Amino acid sequence: MTTPEPIIQTRELTRRYPLGGSEVVGVDRVSLTIAAGELVVLKGNSGSGKSTLLSLLAGLDDPTGGRLQVAGYDLRRLSEARKNRYRREVVGMIFQAFNLLPTMSVLENVCLPALLAGHPYRPTVARACELLDWLGMRPRGDHRPAQLSGGEMQRTAIARALINDPALILADEPTGNLDSRNGERVIELLRDLNRRWQRTVVIATHSNLADPFASLQICLKDGVVTEATCDS
Amino acid sequence: MRFLIFFLRLFTWFSLRQVRLHPWRAGTVLAGVALGAAVFGSVRLAVDASLDSFTRSMDIVAGSADLTVTLPGGRVGEDLVAKLLQLPEVRAASPFLSTYTRSREGAGRPFLLIGLDPILDRSLRTWEAALQPGTERSWIRLLAEPFTLMAGGALAKTEGWTAGQTIHLEQRQGSMPFTVLGDLLPEGLGVTENGRVALTDIATFQEFTGTIGTLDRIDIMLNTPSAEARAALEALLPPGVVLQGPGEARRSGRSMIRAYALNLSILSFAALFVGMFLVYSLVALNAASRRRELAILRSLGASARTLFWLFIVEGAFFGLVGWLLALPMGSLLTRFLVDGVSRTVTNLFVRVNVDTMTLSPGEIVFSLGVTLVVAVLAAVQPAREVMGIAPKEVMATGAPGTGSVGRTSHLALGGLVCVLAVVPLAAMPGYRGLPLPGYLATLLLFVGFALMAPWALKNAGKRLQPFLRRRAGLAAHLAAGYIQESGRRTAVSVGALVTAVALFTALVIMVQSFRHTVEIWVRQTISGDLFVTTRMAETNRTWDPLPAGVEPYLKALDAVDLVPNRRFTLNYSDVPFILEAMDFATFDRYGTFFWLEGNARELTSPLEAGEGVVVSEVFANRTGLAVGDRFRTQVQGIALDWPILGIVRDYRTRGGVVFCSLEALRRQHGPMAWGGVRIFFKDRAQAGGQALERLQDDLRLRFGDRLDMLAGEALRAGVLKIFDETFAITTVLLIIALVVAALGITTTLTVLVLERTRELNTVYAVGGSRGQIRRMILWEAIFMVAVGEVGGLLCGFVLSYLLVFVINRQSFGWTFLYGVDWGALGFSLPLIVATALMAALPAMRVVYQVPPATLLRER
Repeated sequence: MTTPEPIIQTRELTRRYPLGGSEVVGVDRVSLTIAAGELVVLKGNSGSGKSTLLSLLAGLDDPTGGRLQVAGYDLRRLSEARKNRYRREVVGMIFQAFNLLPTMSVLENVCLPALLAGHPYRPTVARACELLDWLGMRPRGDHRPAQLSGGEMQRTAIARALINDPALILADEPTGNLDSRNGERVIELLRDLNRRWQRTVVIATHSNLADPFASLQICLKDGVVTEATCDS
Repeated sequence: MRFLIFFLRLFTWFSLRQVRLHPWRAGTVLAGVALGAAVFGSVRLAVDASLDSFTRSMDIVAGSADLTVTLPGGRVGEDLVAKLLQLPEVRAASPFLSTYTRSREGAGRPFLLIGLDPILDRSLRTWEAALQPGTERSWIRLLAEPFTLMAGGALAKTEGWTAGQTIHLEQRQGSMPFTVLGDLLPEGLGVTENGRVALTDIATFQEFTGTIGTLDRIDIMLNTPSAEARAALEALLPPGVVLQGPGEARRSGRSMIRAYALNLSILSFAALFVGMFLVYSLVALNAASRRRELAILRSLGASARTLFWLFIVEGAFFGLVGWLLALPMGSLLTRFLVDGVSRTVTNLFVRVNVDTMTLSPGEIVFSLGVTLVVAVLAAVQPAREVMGIAPKEVMATGAPGTGSVGRTSHLALGGLVCVLAVVPLAAMPGYRGLPLPGYLATLLLFVGFALMAPWALKNAGKRLQPFLRRRAGLAAHLAAGYIQESGRRTAVSVGALVTAVALFTALVIMVQSFRHTVEIWVRQTISGDLFVTTRMAETNRTWDPLPAGVEPYLKALDAVDLVPNRRFTLNYSDVPFILEAMDFATFDRYGTFFWLEGNARELTSPLEAGEGVVVSEVFANRTGLAVGDRFRTQVQGIALDWPILGIVRDYRTRGGVVFCSLEALRRQHGPMAWGGVRIFFKDRAQAGGQALERLQDDLRLRFGDRLDMLAGEALRAGVLKIFDETFAITTVLLIIALVVAALGITTTLTVLVLERTRELNTVYAVGGSRGQIRRMILWEAIFMVAVGEVGGLLCGFVLSYLLVFVINRQSFGWTFLYGVDWGALGFSLPLIVATALMAALPAMRVVYQVPPATLLRER
C-alpha cells in the first residue's frame, strides 16, 4: 500500500501582523503535512489562528516566514498572476459569512470562478446546474442571495467552491451562521465531497459537528499547533 | 474575445445591477453629466454654426480667385479691371462690390447685396436662378434690366418677395426701388449667408450706393499662380492698391472669433468639469461601499486589473449614458444658444447668419469623446484604489471601512504647489492670441483648491468641534466629528462646490468690473447728443462720406458744436483695426478718452496739431506697439507715419482703434469729407429734449433717408444692452455649473446617510431623537457648504484676477478696472448656500425610509 502524496506541506509557517509598534502573531512556526484526500478539522478558540492558517492555505494572505507548499505550488514564490490562477483552480473556499455577491443570482455566483478562470460560458452553466441539482438548489438558481435562507446561501457557496473542481476545499467556520439542522447538512456535504469525490477538505471550526468524520484533527492555540487534545 | 464577453457579463452582473439598485443615486450623477455634456456640446455647436456660416460665406464669395486687389481704406478704380485683363498672366478678373442693406417694407433685418459683372464673374463664382422655363437666362436679365435683383431663397422667403415685385432697399443714397427677378437656386452664391443674399448688376449696385467708377475689390484668377505672375500684377497696380490672398479676410475674421469661441467653450466645459466630480464621487463611493464584495471577487481569483477595469468601465458607462441623455437636453439648449452666440458674434466680430445647422459626425465624436474622457478620468483614482484591495479582506469580520481620511496634509501641500504655479503661468504670454498659459493656470487653480478641500474639511471639523458642542449642541458636535473622518468622499463634493462657487465669484467680479468699466467708457468716450452717419454705415462698418450738403448745413448751426470724424477699416499686419480721424479739441470740451497712458491735459494739443496718435489698449496689445513707437499705415494710397502719444481704453472690437487728427489727415491726404459727426448742444439743457428732436426732424426733412441718426442716450444704452446680451450666455452656463454642483452635494450627502443608516438608527435606539439626527445631517451639509463656499470665494478672487488681467488681455487685448461688486456677491452667495443646503433635503428624508427596528435586526 502506497502513502498518498501530501497536498499541503508547511515548515515553520509564520504570519505576524504589525500593530502599532508591536506585532501580533497569526500563526507561529506551524509545520504540517496533510495528505491528499484527508478531511482535516482545524480547531481552536477565537484568535487561535485558524482563519489565518486558512487564509495562507487559500493564497489570500502571504506568510512572513517559513515554507508553504500546496498541491505542488510554492505559495511564497508565486507571482500575483499565478496566485490568482491558484485561487481560481486549486482551492475552493467556503466562508462563515457565505460571501455571495448580492447583485448576482445563485447561478451567476456559482459560475463566477469558472468564468474568471476563462472557461466557456455554456459548459460552465451546465456544470453549475449539475452542482445546484446535487445540492438541491436548482429551483433557486435565479434568486438573489438576499432571497435565500442561511443554509441555502451556504450551499450556494459550496457549489461555487466546487465549480472549478478544485483539489482542496477550505471551509472557514462553515456552520457558524447556521442553525443546527442546516449546520449538520453542510458538514454532511463536506464529508460527501471528501469520501465520494476524494477532495481534500480542511474545515476550521469551533463546533464538534465535523469531528466524527475527521481523518485528522489539528488544534491551534495562540497561533501554535498544540499536541494536547482539542477542547470542544 | 472570450475574456471581453466575460468582462461585459461581469460588468453587467456586478456593476450595472448595482446602478439599478440605486436608481436615484445614479440618476443624479447621470443628470449632472448630461447637463455638463449638453452645455458643452451645444455651445460648441452654436459657436461652430457661427464660424461655419462665416467661413462658408467667405469661401463662396471668394470663389475661385487666386488673388484679390484692394485699396486699404478706400475703393479700387474700375478702370483697373480692363488693365488687369490685358495681362497674359490673368485668366479672369472680376469686379466685386457688396454691402449690407435692408428692405424698407420688410422686418428691417439687413442682408448682403452683391454687385457683380454677370459675364466676367462666371469663371470665378457659380450661381443660378430658379426661373420659369422659357424665360431669358438670369444673368442676361440682370444685365439688361437696371435695378433688378435675384434673391437668395431664405431672403425671398423671410421677406415674402415674389418675382416681379418691386421693393425698396436702403442705402447711403436713400431708398431705391428694385424689381425682384426671381430666386437664386440654393447653390454657389445662392447659399451665401444661408441664403440671405441678393445679386445685382455692378452698374446698378454702383448707382445704388453712389460708388460709380469704383469697386470694393477685383478678384483675379491666374493662368498659373506663381511669384512671377504676382510680381507682374503688382507692377501694374497704382500706389496704395495691394494684392492679397482671397483667404485673408476669412483668416482675419476667424482669428477674431477664435478667442471668443475658445473662451465660451472653456466656460461650457466648466459644467462638464463639475460633472466629473460627480462621477468621481459616485464611483469612489461604490468602490468604498463595495469593498467587501471586491475582496470576494479577489478571493475567487479576479485579478486586481479586472477590478480596475470594472470601475473604469463604470466611469465610461456614466459618461456614455450621460452623453446620450444630453442629446435631447442639448437640442433644446442649442436653440437658445445659437441665437445668442450668433448675435454676439455679429455684434462684436463679423456678421453671421445662422438659419440652419449641420451636425457634423466629427462634432458628435468629439463631444462623446470629451464626455467619455472626463468620466473615465474621474474614475481612474477610485479604480486605482480598488486595485489595492487584498483578497484576505474577505476574511475580515464586521463592516468594511468605507473610506479613508488619507494624508490630507500631503494632498494640501500638492494643492498649494498647484496654486503657487499659477503665478509664473499668469506672467507667460499667450500662444498665437490664445491664453493657453492662462487656461492652464485656471485648471491648476481648480485642482489646487480641490486638493486642499480634504485638509480644510478635516481641520474645520477639528477646530470647530469643541466650539460647536458648546454653542450648537450635540448634533453639530457629532457632525463635526464625522466630517473630520469622512475622507476624500466628502471632499470631492466640496471640491465640486469650490469649483462652481469660484467660477461664480470670478465671473460676477469680472462681469461687474467689465460693465462698470464699459459704463465709464461709454459715458466719457461715447459722448455726444446725436450721432450722424450715412445710412447703413454702422451695419456695413464702412464709413463713406456723408451726403453732400450735410456738412455745410451742420456747420451753419449756431446752437451746436460738432465733432466730425472719418473712419477707415484697415489692417496692421494681420490685425484689423479702425483708424478714426477726429476733431480732438471739440471732443475734449464734452468728453474725454479713458486714458491708460497719457492724459487729455497734456495730449489734446499735440494730437490736434497732428503730432501723433493715440491707440486703444486692444490695438497696443495686439500689435505690441507702445507709447513712443511709430505707427505707420496707408490710407487710400497715402502713407501715414506718426508717433504713438498715448494709450486709451476702447471696447469697440475688430482689433482696436487708432485715433488721429482729422485736420492732420487732411493735410496729408487732401480734402476729406466727413464720414460721421457727433453733435453736442452748446446749451446742455437742450441735449435730450425737444431741440434734439427738432434737429433730427430737420435733418430727415433735408436729407431724407440717406442718414442714420442715433441719439446719444440711445446709443449708450444700446452699447450696454449688447454687453448684457453678450454675458447672458455666460450667466446661463454658470447657473448650470452651479446646478451640477448642487447635484453633487445631494449625491454625496444621500449616500453618506445611506451608508450610515445603521449607525444613525443606533443613535436613535440609544435615545437620539429624529430631529437630532436630522440636525446632525444638516450640520454635515453646513460644513460641506461652508468649506466649499469659503474655498470657492478664495479661489474665485484669484481666478477673477486671472480672467481680468491674463485671459481677457490675451484673448481680446483689453483689460478693465478691477472692482468687486460686494452687493452682487453678497446677494447671490447666500442663494448658493441656500441651494446647496436644499440639496441636503433628500438625504434627510431617506434616513428613516426603513424602520429602525428592521435595520438594527439585520446584520
